[in-house]
Amino acid sequence: MAEESFLTDEFLRQLINVGEVDILIGVPTHNNAKTIGPVIQNIQAGILKCFPRERVVIINADGGSRDGTPDLVAGASISDAQHASNLFTLRTLHSISTQYADGPDAGAALRTMLAAAELLRAKVAVVVSPDSVEPQWIQRLAVPIYKDNFDLVTPVYRRHKFEGLLMRTLLYPMTRAVYGYAIREPYASEFAVSDRLATDFLATEEWNDELGRIGPEMGLTTKAMAGRFHLCQAFLGTKAPVEGTSSDLVAAMRRTVGVLFSSLDTNFPVWSASNGLAPVPTFGSPAEVTLEPVSVDRNRLWEMFTTGVSELEPVFRSILSPSTLQELVGLASGGNGAGKYGAELWARTVYEFAAAYHRSVINRDHIIQALVPLYRGRTLTFISENESTSAEQIESSIECQCAEFERLKPYLLDTWNGGK
Amino acid sequence: MREMIMNELTQTTQELARGFAQYLPRLIVMLIIVLVGWLIAYLLKMIARSILRLTKFAKLSENAGATQLLKKAALPSSTELLSSFVFWVAWIGFILLGVSALGIGGFEEHVSRFFLFLPRLFVALVILFFGLLAASFFSRATLLAAVNAHSRSPRLLSLSVRLILIIFTVSMVFEELGIAEQTIILAFGIGFGAIMLGLALAFGLGGQDLAREFLERRLTRERKEEKENELSPL
Amino acid sequence: MPLKREPGWYKDAIIYQIHVRSFYDSNADGIGDFQGLAQRLDYIQELGANTIWLMPFFPSPLRDDGYDISDYRSVHPSYGSLEDFRAFLSTAHDLGLRVIIEMVLNHTSDQHPWFQESRSSHDNPRRDWYVWSDTDNKYRGTRIIFLDTEMSNWAWDPVSKQYYWHRFFGHQPDLNWDNPAVRAEMWEIMKFWLDMGVDGFRLDAVPYLIEREGTNCENLPETHVLIKELRRKVDEQFPGTMLLAEANQWPADLRPYFGNGDEFHMAFHFPLMPRMFMGLRLEDRKPITEILHQTPAIPPTCQWCLFLRNHDELTLEMVTDVERDYMYDMYATDKAMRLNLGIRRRLAPLLDNDRRRIELMNGMLLSMPGTPIIYYGDEIGMGDNIYLGDRNGVRTPMQWSAGWNGGFSTADPERLYSPPILNPLYGYPAVNVLSQKRTDHSLFSWMKHIIKVRRSTPVFGSGSIEFLYPANHRVLAYIRQLGKETVLVVNNLSNAAQAVELDLRPYKGNILVEMFGKNIFPRIGDLPYLLTMGPYQFYWFRLRRI
Repeated sequence: MAEESFLTDEFLRQLINVGEVDILIGVPTHNNAKTIGPVIQNIQAGILKCFPRERVVIINADGGSRDGTPDLVAGASISDAQHASNLFTLRTLHSISTQYADGPDAGAALRTMLAAAELLRAKVAVVVSPDSVEPQWIQRLAVPIYKDNFDLVTPVYRRHKFEGLLMRTLLYPMTRAVYGYAIREPYASEFAVSDRLATDFLATEEWNDELGRIGPEMGLTTKAMAGRFHLCQAFLGTKAPVEGTSSDLVAAMRRTVGVLFSSLDTNFPVWSASNGLAPVPTFGSPAEVTLEPVSVDRNRLWEMFTTGVSELEPVFRSILSPSTLQELVGLASGGNGAGKYGAELWARTVYEFAAAYHRSVINRDHIIQALVPLYRGRTLTFISENESTSAEQIESSIECQCAEFERLKPYLLDTWNGGK
Repeated sequence: MREMIMNELTQTTQELARGFAQYLPRLIVMLIIVLVGWLIAYLLKMIARSILRLTKFAKLSENAGATQLLKKAALPSSTELLSSFVFWVAWIGFILLGVSALGIGGFEEHVSRFFLFLPRLFVALVILFFGLLAASFFSRATLLAAVNAHSRSPRLLSLSVRLILIIFTVSMVFEELGIAEQTIILAFGIGFGAIMLGLALAFGLGGQDLAREFLERRLTRERKEEKENELSPL
Repeated sequence: MPLKREPGWYKDAIIYQIHVRSFYDSNADGIGDFQGLAQRLDYIQELGANTIWLMPFFPSPLRDDGYDISDYRSVHPSYGSLEDFRAFLSTAHDLGLRVIIEMVLNHTSDQHPWFQESRSSHDNPRRDWYVWSDTDNKYRGTRIIFLDTEMSNWAWDPVSKQYYWHRFFGHQPDLNWDNPAVRAEMWEIMKFWLDMGVDGFRLDAVPYLIEREGTNCENLPETHVLIKELRRKVDEQFPGTMLLAEANQWPADLRPYFGNGDEFHMAFHFPLMPRMFMGLRLEDRKPITEILHQTPAIPPTCQWCLFLRNHDELTLEMVTDVERDYMYDMYATDKAMRLNLGIRRRLAPLLDNDRRRIELMNGMLLSMPGTPIIYYGDEIGMGDNIYLGDRNGVRTPMQWSAGWNGGFSTADPERLYSPPILNPLYGYPAVNVLSQKRTDHSLFSWMKHIIKVRRSTPVFGSGSIEFLYPANHRVLAYIRQLGKETVLVVNNLSNAAQAVELDLRPYKGNILVEMFGKNIFPRIGDLPYLLTMGPYQFYWFRLRRI
């Protein structure tokens, strides 16, 4: 039986008019009317600057905005019928908008954009966030694929040393240890995909899973790593802090850690056999950190960690090994600042969680939720340790975390199928 | 008189012998049924065990928390327990069948009642199992949500959820079994009422802060969240 | 015998551009001549063109292909005599062909007697016929046109020890149009040719006639005064004569040369041509619709002159840097193909000898608002020789047959003014008139056909244009309208088949008649009119209400 099409007829009609393109720029939106105008303008500026000759289309996948976001996108076309624009292009530059669902759904949005890219035979699909884009990002993300045949370009940012800690203490070290690719931001709101990877990713079964819906970006990265595609990174500059999106830590963990853990299931033959690091070139400067002091409510973090450990102890008992649990309990009962949730213990915790996730010892979502308080504990330690350190020291402490994950990889393999 | 005694004796002996002769085959039949029953029951036990292993029942029961419960009570594993259960139900069935073959008056009624009771027992067990599963799942979900939402008393919340669900399950089980229906409904009512009252009191008196916090979070969600997490994790 | 000149005849003209030297050699000296041209006029008539534009044929040292004139009242001896010209003109008129000749007003050759007199001494009566100066610092705001060869607009004259002004080559001193004697003499020269019966002039390098300090010395108001005066005289004494301006300028800067219908009748639309090539390569109509959108309206008696290629390089002066780079990369990969700010190639090689693209470009040329010019040889798909200097690569002998010198001349091949094209793809053995005339599907036969269709209705020459903007940007569609006559033109600029939906609701109820095969297409209804188009395909539809 034919699979139900997820592209509307109207959208297809617009795609027919666009025809073949070289580069597709995708912008997923949901009620982004405030920022979408400048974003589209910056995208256009970026295209005109470095791809004046290429055939480019801007595709907006909208999750049922009620503030007129799609109209703003469609109105930004640089076509021959419109001469008011002060931007000069050789070609007609279409911006088209389609509504994939009545509510935001990152998976459906990405799938819509990649499907459009495949239909239009785009060599590169660049996905950017609807909150802010700099014109030069388009070039930095697209060129490695367009000119140098890479398959996935993930971003590297300049950001505060305590921003993105989940990325630095878990996602980056663990993907690096497990899959052997040093990708700084395996989950990003800006990235670029080659036609090969897009086609491959579209063909996966995972779209129907919850995982495909929750964290397609992370799924894309793990897919690329497991499929041994050519990965690279591009320095984009300062990552503008995004309001309100990452405040829900549980949801963030589901989108990232959950997807990473579940990817280990399907890709076991790949990662269990891989060792060493595959080269991942970085275009532009490597990751930069800024060091302004920030105030963090440490007591609160500590409290959330300790209550987490004590309250969830019965849950941890089915996830963690007795020795790990014992260490954690000891740590939590020691009083604020008494003990350190070090890199080694953290790596072991995460691996045991991953193995428990694989064996489904309890409901998988519960496993992810149970990791949250422990992550808070690790965050606290990381912040305390690096309170007044320099950029190099931060880098070395991340490196140290990576080393622990790499060193303990055999432990993950041991615990993978039972046998704590 | 002596003759009479002898006569009676002979007659009795003869009757006994006749009776015994009449009874012996039934006894043998009974023994055969019981023995064959044991064999069949054992076979069923083996089949049940392998089916449960194939369906990864252990995982399910672990999810339900049944495994931990059993461990605490120093009982064998859930798979073992269930297959033993199958064995005993089958064998008892055969024993009863054998006994009824003895033809003891009134016993047949009990036997048929036993067989009528079997499906209800099975349904009750299923309810119990899934009830425990749900209780464990939802109590853990509550616990995790409460911990991650930084609520004051996650255990209390989680325990209440578990208790309510277990009481509910147990009452359903008993109702299914038809045992002490009135008492159970009454007891459930009283128990449920008490917990609700307790919760209400806890929220009202002891958990003023908790309740306020809860309401605050509901009403001013976004501002609260921003304050809660100054650093973006991603 | 002059042809009867109905007003506005130039609007429906199909102009065929010829160099006498390159067309046909009747006396076996290796150089084309007027007698030869006269013998081949039936060919031009057969093609369907009705006007001939002759490149300069005056006596000249030929250092700028005849644009360096040394005698305005005569014919270069290589091309024949004045009598030969008269005979040619008369034959052309007999065949219904009008003749436009070149008139180089801005400058003469440095071999012209006027200049020789002028430079002979500072007090010669003709001294003031040219622009002299003690310093080369005057008029510094003026750009240099021939960037590849000229360093300055001033040249030192060692004879009279002064600088003279020249906008083009150093051997082409500019006439001083502020001098009434120069103006009177130039009018006398124009009268000389008009009396003979020529139908119009192409006036060369018009924007540069007058120099004024502190300006860029182009498009000055004084120039317009001069032109208005010329036009008045022409209208009074030779009504129906057409004046065509050569001014390589942006459309908005060109507009003043039409005045209120009292300056030039026609002017070349320079910016459109490169954009047609660009739109084709980009597979995007945007450059074309954009430039036509920027083109100002002109008085009703005036007309644009459109061309795909001419005797000069494909000029890229009227494009932005991004566009120029793109054009160079797409159409002139070999540096030898570039000259000044342009590409010196013929139509067929520019389009990779792709018959579909050649047809599409000619289809657009003949259906857009303006009078089309066909450069000799392009109607048979002649090639070029980029290894000949300057622009001589596109000025090689006409290829008449596969025989001796391509049928151009019976002279020894070594004697020809220029080697004919010989390469196996474009050379005269492969591309020539004789063989193309024999087949119905040859480019020549096809050109004949499309010119016939074009001339079947005045709507193309005089009608209005309105662009349709279908969402498919690879399709260029427009409506031409004149009175009750409406024509729909749809061009697919893409190398692949396309579907296009046209909004034709204003024309609801009409049926479409395809103008080449005369077949009927479905009636226009309320729904968008769907057309499917093959690669580089175009349609001309006449709208009919039945």
